[in-house]
Amino acid sequence: MKLRVTGTLALLAATALLAGTACADGKVGIGRQETIAAKSGKAKTLAELAKMYDSSSCIECHQDKYDEAQKSIHSRSIYGTGRTALTIMTTIENGLMEEPYSGVKSPKDVKVEHLMGCAKCHLPQLADAEDSVAQELVTTLYDWKAALKKKDKVAAKKAEDTLKSVNIGCLICHNRNAITHKWQDGYAKAGVVYGSKDGDHPSDKFPKMAVSPIMGEAIQCGQCHGMGPNMELDEPTQCCTSYGSYLWAYKSEIGQKNCQDCHMKESKLGHNIQSYRDPGMAKAAVDFKTEAFGYYWRDGAQIRPKAVVKVEMINRAGHSIPDG
Amino acid sequence: MPVPQQLGRGDRMGRGPYEKSGIIEDTGLPPGKTVNERFDIFYPLEEVEQNGKTITRPQAYDLDIEVKLWYVPFGPLGPKINDPFLWDEFAKTVSISKTGK
Ligand code: HEC
Ligand code: HEC
Ligand code: HEC
Ligand code: HEC
Ligand code: HEC
Repeated sequence: MKLRVTGTLALLAATALLAGTACADGKVGIGRQETIAAKSGKAKTLAELAKMYDSSSCIECHQDKYDEAQKSIHSRSIYGTGRTALTIMTTIENGLMEEPYSGVKSPKDVKVEHLMGCAKCHLPQLADAEDSVAQELVTTLYDWKAALKKKDKVAAKKAEDTLKSVNIGCLICHNRNAITHKWQDGYAKAGVVYGSKDGDHPSDKFPKMAVSPIMGEAIQCGQCHGMGPNMELDEPTQCCTSYGSYLWAYKSEIGQKNCQDCHMKESKLGHNIQSYRDPGMAKAAVDFKTEAFGYYWRDGAQIRPKAVVKVEMINRAGHSIPDG
Repeated sequence: MPVPQQLGRGDRMGRGPYEKSGIIEDTGLPPGKTVNERFDIFYPLEEVEQNGKTITRPQAYDLDIEVKLWYVPFGPLGPKINDPFLWDEFAKTVSISKTGK
């Protein structure tokens, strides 16, 4: 007997009428003028940029989050382990200065746009600063390098602290970068912290809290964790690709967890977002099974004893490791 | 590690993020998939005189095997800046019989 199955594909047409409260005045991006950057104007100095997204006012009430976040590399995102700061200088010398059309002949020519190839993720708020801030960053990097060379610990520490004074702090994740789809969800407003709920927020500088539709989603992290070449730049860069790997190798084929599930919740690390340098994360990452045995292998008259070592590994993370 | 192409073209690997674009291959561990590695390590042999005949026999019957899974963020294993990380390790002495045909 044969069964004939007829499938009906219903095409559902959904029409949504959005009654907008905002009024279009012919400009692209309604509400852009409400952002922290638009309200305070572009930063002219590193100190001004640090102040624009200063998270020190959050400490008094969110001490726990602050203590955790300080341990994460996000709190020193252009210094990193030191390798990041060094590589930004390599980028200037082996990248920008060698590229014939970059407009950079010496570190003195480096502008915000040149640094955005890195700052896009390592310091997104650099986009809210004037070129003088790019110059201040470059000078600080070279001061740091010179101090290290001279073994001047005091000067090196001073430059290091300046480099760490701008970072991915509370207000980058909970305000500036809390909304990815700005034409749908609106621009992040000054005076508002974005999290999981709407309402009043008992802080003088940030009297409101609002829902960020992506705070618990992978894209919140993914906006800085790379998918491959950053094609929107005049000179594409590529660094971290863990979001790309997550999308295509993990989410598509293996599992449904979000970055936050593994890195913040299951790890119990909260805002202390870590990689393998945390023993718990390292342990969670790879199953490593090995067996070894010996025997006399023979081929015709030839006898060659050997040991066979078999290794089986399964990466339990949500992306390829290591990333590069 | 995802091995990037230099400037998104050709067969040369890029190392700095300013020149990396694209991927040639990924030598890392893909998520959720079993990756197997197998090593065949031959016992070193020696030739010795026994009862007037030259015979070949293992120099030793026990091999100390160590398998180490390293993560090397940058450059060769060693100096501090590379900050190599030992992920896991395995050690076993593998023995083969001393008598038999
Ligand atoms: C005077 C104390 C105070 C200060 C200062 C403060 N907060 Fe809060 N914050 C709170 C309290 C209390 C809540 C919980 C409010 C509620 O659930 O009704 C909260 C809630 C939040 C939430 C939403 C949490 C959720 O569950 O979605 C975020 C995000 C947040 N704060 C971030 C910040 C940031 C960033 C700063 C610094 C700019 C800051 N807060 C400063 C007291 C404070
Ligand atoms: C798409 C976002 C993105 C861009 C653009 C980007 N990075 Fe990164 N970078 C990251 C992330 C995220 C990490 C950390 C996670 C990882 O290594 O997978 C990282 C890691 C690094 C590391 C490794 C740090 C260490 O201690 O091993 C260096 C060095 C680095 N970046 C330098 C740069 C430089 C220089 C540029 C500009 C030419 C740049 N990055 C551009 C996101 C980015
Ligand atoms: C790298 C991005 C990032 C940074 C930096 C960051 N947060 Fe968060 N925060 C998140 C995410 C993502 C969540 C939601 C986690 C989840 O889904 O459970 C969150 C949740 C919260 C919550 C509410 C949920 C909870 O865990 O109780 C508060 C309050 C909060 N953050 C405050 C802060 C403060 C204060 C700082 C600065 C010290 C900070 N965050 C820095 C990403 C960040
Ligand atoms: C604004 C951009 C940005 C956002 C948002 C962001 N990251 Fe990152 N993240 C970075 C950069 C840049 C680095 C590397 C800093 C360095 O090494 O110089 C990094 C590093 C990391 C590391 C490596 C930590 C270490 O010590 O090796 C992990 C893990 C990580 N991020 C996870 C997350 C998760 C999970 C989220 C979302 C909750 C997230 N990130 C959100 C930019 C971001
Ligand atoms: C299923 C759990 C899981 C999910 C989902 C997950 N991660 Fe991870 N991630 C891990 C574990 C475990 C490690 C530690 C291994 C390591 O450091 O290489 C790790 C390491 C990392 C690292 C460091 C990579 C390196 O080279 O050491 C980065 C960056 C990172 N994750 C970012 C993310 C981002 C961004 C997302 C979401 C897009 C995400 N992770 C989703 C479990 C997860």
